[in-house]
Amino acid sequence: MRRARTVACMGDLVIETHDLSKRYSDRIVAVDRLLMRVRRGEVYGFLGPNGAGKTTTLRMLLGLVRPTSGTALVLGVAPGSPEGLARIGALIETPTFYPFLSGRDNLRVLARHAGVSETRIEPALAEVELTGRAGDRFRTYSLGMKQRLGIAAALLKDPELLILDEPTNGMDPAGMAEMRAFIRDLGRETRTVLLSSHLMSEVEQICDRVGVISKGTLVGEGTVDELRGRESLWLRAEPLEEAERVVRALRGIEQSRGSTVASVSKLIPSQPLRSTVPSSKPGSR
Amino acid sequence: MTRSVAAEFLVVRKRSSTWILLGIWTLLALIFAYVVPYVTYLNGSSREPLGDLLPRHLVGNLMGGFPFFGGVFALQLGVLAFGSEYGWGTLKTLLTQRPGRLRIFGAKLLALAATLVPFVLVVFALGALASYAIAVREGMEVAWPSAWLVLRGLGAGWLILAVWAAFGVLLAVLSRGTSLAVGIGILYSLVIEGLLSALASQVSVIDRLVEFFLRANAYSLVTGLGVSADDVASNGPGSFSGPFVGGAQAVLVLASYLAVLLVASGWLLRRRDVV
Repeated sequence: MRRARTVACMGDLVIETHDLSKRYSDRIVAVDRLLMRVRRGEVYGFLGPNGAGKTTTLRMLLGLVRPTSGTALVLGVAPGSPEGLARIGALIETPTFYPFLSGRDNLRVLARHAGVSETRIEPALAEVELTGRAGDRFRTYSLGMKQRLGIAAALLKDPELLILDEPTNGMDPAGMAEMRAFIRDLGRETRTVLLSSHLMSEVEQICDRVGVISKGTLVGEGTVDELRGRESLWLRAEPLEEAERVVRALRGIEQSRGSTVASVSKLIPSQPLRSTVPSSKPGSR
Repeated sequence: MTRSVAAEFLVVRKRSSTWILLGIWTLLALIFAYVVPYVTYLNGSSREPLGDLLPRHLVGNLMGGFPFFGGVFALQLGVLAFGSEYGWGTLKTLLTQRPGRLRIFGAKLLALAATLVPFVLVVFALGALASYAIAVREGMEVAWPSAWLVLRGLGAGWLILAVWAAFGVLLAVLSRGTSLAVGIGILYSLVIEGLLSALASQVSVIDRLVEFFLRANAYSLVTGLGVSADDVASNGPGSFSGPFVGGAQAVLVLASYLAVLLVASGWLLRRRDVV
């Protein structure tokens, strides 16, 4: 399913964060010292369960939310600066537009704000196959149509970087498949795509590299092939304490057999509940 | 910036609430400035009001509605212009386009300021038509106020509405929505300013405070344009019995309100997270 791609220049970073953090209070840490690097031309999947800090990170990269500490560079400039935003197309969570305006008028408003020619509106609508309903009010659109208008809006600027936050959220299976194919096509061009998702299957299909975030921290990063090829044992157990008990027992078994197994890589407490244990037994999945 | 303003004009022009508010405000202004007084006159209870209904008193007859009733409509316009962006989530969509936050803020303000122009012009135009019709029907002389007085009236009307709209903008940005902002705005105009103004003549400390109220300065401005203090004192929920201040002071205080409210709104919009 996943295409073979060549990343143009490994050293050419489009997004670079250093210890990026967002705290809403002493107890609530949305993002904790995030180190993230997205290279030019790649489709980067930002994977994590709901509430892991994906959207907050993307909002910080777009200048919507100020980091509590740390730094970020997007396309070489500070997040939210007009020079950067002119080259970024974004869809954050649910697409939000003026409900009383048609899809076409909504794009007209955005094109004027973005300073791009309004001649780009019709091609963008055509690209997401929304031309036939472009004259109808946004409030009459189905969720799938709203998502497609959101993508059209993100494409208006012909951006170097696309930031898409769970673009298939709430869509039916057919719509999801259609949207994923569309994003794959977008990524085949020269642009960079940063896609957040809580679905492993989705990033597997679309992305070249994946960063896994949990509780605001980047807990793993690598190519899809690396993540796929890593030998691992997947456990699903409820409650979490049960998973921890099984993992502890496995660790004990491996140690007693003199195995080189390092450690439990992660326990992810939200759904789907999983524990991964690197295994010394190939194919023990 | 020009294209951002054009974008905001498109939003304002296609938004039905703009036209609904304009329609209701115009209707109420005409009813209370011309229809009710003329019906009262025709019923013979008093021959006094007719003079105020003639074209010569156009400015004085219309301006009495701006400080409170017009203000409440402008407040709602200001709240809707910014509060709805939070409610619909469109602010984040706008802020991820090219312009910076302050440029979008400026574009929205310019569109809002321009929207207030028909709120003054339409009321004046229809008021002129109503006064002309009454004069012709009653066989009275049709004499118009000076162009200078009309211009001052238009300017004062716009300034009063602009201050109230700016107050609405600040409330919307503070509360990041519309409902609370409209509620607090109306509560402030009716309860805080209304009740304290009513107490002003009895408590000297409040008297000094009231001089800086929107209501006091707006009414002071319009009384200088021909609105009678008696009419203001019997203006229902928008009534005001003083203290009045000089016209220049009123303009200065209102302009200061406008500047402070807009600077505070812009600062908040620039500083706060958009979630």
